[in-house]
Amino acid sequence: MTELQRLREAFRSALDLPADEPVDELRYQDNEKWDSLAHMSLVAAVEDEFSVMIDTDDVINMSSFAEAVRILGKYGVDVK
Amino acid sequence: MNLLHPSAKVVDAATGETLTPALIDAAAASLKDQPLVFLPMPATVPAVARYLAALRLEKPVVLLDPDTDHTGLIARYTTGEVHPDLALLLTTSGSTGDPKLVRLSRAAVLANAGQVAESLGITGDDVAITTLPLFYSYGLSVLHSHLLRGATVVLERTGLMRKDFWDAVGAHRVTSMAFVPYQYEMLRRLRFDPAKHPSVRTITQAGGRLRTDLVTDFAGRMDAVGGRMFVMYGQTEAAPRMACLPSALLDRKLGSVGQAMPGGAFTVSDDGEVVYHGPNVMMGYAETAADLARGDDLGGVLRTGDLGRLDEEGFLFITGRMKRMGKVFGVRINLDDVERQFPVAAVAGDDRLHVFAEDLSADEARALRTKIADWLGTHVTGVDVRTIEALPLLANGKTDYRALEASL
Repeated sequence: MTELQRLREAFRSALDLPADEPVDELRYQDNEKWDSLAHMSLVAAVEDEFSVMIDTDDVINMSSFAEAVRILGKYGVDVK
Repeated sequence: MNLLHPSAKVVDAATGETLTPALIDAAAASLKDQPLVFLPMPATVPAVARYLAALRLEKPVVLLDPDTDHTGLIARYTTGEVHPDLALLLTTSGSTGDPKLVRLSRAAVLANAGQVAESLGITGDDVAITTLPLFYSYGLSVLHSHLLRGATVVLERTGLMRKDFWDAVGAHRVTSMAFVPYQYEMLRRLRFDPAKHPSVRTITQAGGRLRTDLVTDFAGRMDAVGGRMFVMYGQTEAAPRMACLPSALLDRKLGSVGQAMPGGAFTVSDDGEVVYHGPNVMMGYAETAADLARGDDLGGVLRTGDLGRLDEEGFLFITGRMKRMGKVFGVRINLDDVERQFPVAAVAGDDRLHVFAEDLSADEARALRTKIADWLGTHVTGVDVRTIEALPLLANGKTDYRALEASL
């Protein structure tokens, strides 16, 4: 699996979305399943999947799929 | 009833809107003709104004989750006959089963606001921020206890996993925050460092048992900056807080929920049930509209349904539940209700529901988890589904829950 597929999977599993649901355009404020609990499991899933430890500021800033891609870049994970 | 100290302030973190006497007066005028107020309660200034207006007019208020449809509940409880002492009605039993209402008198609400304010030493210099819904008893008691002492309450809706929340903590110089166990898990993931939020002096914990390693962890973080953590114990039925363990004693009494708050007392019945005696105990439950006319059924004595013991200094240790109850993200659930709805055996974990079912495929387990979480109205991470070859049984043919709990 590519990094991009792995990140999509992490989003689907944390937000409890179907396997084929597109997530690349997902934003926090548009998705009712993306509440604070889902956000915590999303951060956990991303950290586990990519073996990174995300800083507090990045955790609270990770408000869209695109932002997650950008943040992972800071930790040396090139999502494409 | 006046819960509102003249110098208390309420401000919306997102809009800057503040509560004014004129807003409460206007809300009062609009409620004039209602004997009973059903109030969806988001954390907004207009909702708080309506709530305070209803209390001032001495009209009982039913506080409701603004994101849920309550047509059935409103139809069931609408009445013109309400008891004169009745001030506040809160739903209980979480999202499942019958939505019973807890009937709280004006005296009980005021008493508990005072007990909490005294236990925490709240003053007019304090600034609290909403971390929990205001229709939930612990969240509401944060509002009550701060308004009573002329403190400030910041209304924030995004929650502690968002940047806006922490920006509001800084901008309003928040001094006090209240959290339930799952939020302590979040704070740990956020690597919450009180040194980065120097205005914060006090954190409180209630809404279920917090693992003792997290109690020690967070008490240590607060202690390192000269701040305080309080472990508290309550139930909606007690308006809601009953016990408090101050941070200075956390070490010596680890695992305890503290002593009864001022004016209250605990006893333990012969069968091990924790019984609370105090001015903040509810009048009773309401299961029908006619019950809203009832007087005080309990006389200040609440059988909590919790099992526990008191040590020689009166510190309470909770050891379990009489009934098969669990909590998921702070919301009480009846495990027997879960089993009536789904073909599973259900046991309670720390703030999670664990269910066991025989011979499920991974896909079936996943689908069942989603269905149960939807039914409970909670996030899937609050539910754990495990497959088991055969459920363990006791000699009498009943499910062996101890064995299931031991396998977790």
